[in-house]
Amino acid sequence: MALLEELKDLGVDVDGGLNRLNGNEALFVKLLGTFVRTMESYSVSLDFDGSDSEEVASVTEKAHAIKGAAGNLSITPIYEAYTQIVDLLRAGDIEPAKEEIEKILPVQKNIIDCIKANM
Amino acid sequence: MDKEKIILIVDDIEINRVILSEIFKKDYHIIEACNGIQALEAVNKNPDISAMLLDLVMPEMNGLEVLRKMNKSGKLKSIPVFLITAESSEEMLLEGYHLGAVDVITKPFMQHFLKHRINNIIELYSHRNELEYVVAKQVKRLNQVSRSMVETLATLIEFRDCESGEHVKRICGLTDILMTKVSEMYPEYRLPQSEIDKIVTSSVLHDVGKISIPDGILNKPGRLTKEEFEVMKQHTVKGCEILQEIPNVMGKGLYDYSYDICRHHHERWDGRGYPDGLVGDEISIWAQVVSIADVYDALTAERVYKKAFDHDTAVKMIYHGECGSFNPKILKAFEASLDTIQKKNWALVE
Repeated sequence: MALLEELKDLGVDVDGGLNRLNGNEALFVKLLGTFVRTMESYSVSLDFDGSDSEEVASVTEKAHAIKGAAGNLSITPIYEAYTQIVDLLRAGDIEPAKEEIEKILPVQKNIIDCIKANM
Repeated sequence: MDKEKIILIVDDIEINRVILSEIFKKDYHIIEACNGIQALEAVNKNPDISAMLLDLVMPEMNGLEVLRKMNKSGKLKSIPVFLITAESSEEMLLEGYHLGAVDVITKPFMQHFLKHRINNIIELYSHRNELEYVVAKQVKRLNQVSRSMVETLATLIEFRDCESGEHVKRICGLTDILMTKVSEMYPEYRLPQSEIDKIVTSSVLHDVGKISIPDGILNKPGRLTKEEFEVMKQHTVKGCEILQEIPNVMGKGLYDYSYDICRHHHERWDGRGYPDGLVGDEISIWAQVVSIADVYDALTAERVYKKAFDHDTAVKMIYHGECGSFNPKILKAFEASLDTIQKKNWALVE
């Protein structure tokens, strides 16, 4: 399937994700669609106020949710980046966290665009 | 695997729910909830849930709050809860364990490990629940056996003491009404229902010692002489001797109540009763209750040596102290129970 091959090229561990779903390719593809929607509702942007603890907590929660979902679908680049982002946010390292967000945003856009183009 | 077994999956992210569901749907019936409130609703609707996979970070009500509520309601005793987390602070996970979670599942899920861990715990819990059920059933059966032994003993006395007739049954009924009322009215005498039930069962044996009293005295149609009365009084002590021979028949709780009631149901509040001349609250509340029940029943029933008094006369005699003195609090409880007692119409049974 073209989508899965393209995702492999983007660093997604397609085999690991499929394995978690007992090799059910159709379900994997369906969940990739769900992932796109999840990313829209849990989107993390750079313009949050690092001095507002409530706002930081809310961003951390979203990053945490993305990390869990990406991990379960083996979307490795996103999973790894958000693992680091969550750790930094929890440690109060706001600026390094923002740098990581800035780095992952174009990568995640590529992955999401690739999924959308194949839906 | 038994597909009737239910796994409740609680996660606000649909992807996680679908993946978990995919892993377990072959072997279990799956219910999903996307926040803590829905999770608790599902638990209440399906008390037979075999396991709950619970995300920690969720909107509405988070996983720890769900655990706290399940802990409080006692649901954690029968439902194993696994925390799902992509990582969470150490304190959060520790709190989860303290609140009663059985294990932690980390995301991304590792299918095979997950299956084994959850299946093992479900099997363990189901085995434990089954054992608890069997034990509870056996305890119930044992209690029934104890009770029937006690009733058998009481029936033997009835046969011996031809005047007693339905006496023991009425004593049981009266003890139940009075003990419940005393417990309701006075915090210092409050007892849980399970204890009241034991007292009621034990009251049946209050006169077990009469089995050792010679027929000539027990069933004498006229008034007893002073010497005969002294022999008659021995039924309290003799009763205890009989019970001492069979302590294992009824279990500790019933034995202790029976022994005490048997020995002290002729004691009086002012210390002028027998056999020990106990005064006031030296006499246990259950022995005091059975005393008044015994007196009321003796007055309202016909005996070889006397006619039956009607309810009103019997009550007046008790209040005027014609049958010895009683705890004023019990007399008040007795007064408050008169309607219920009269409605039972025990006085007309014989």
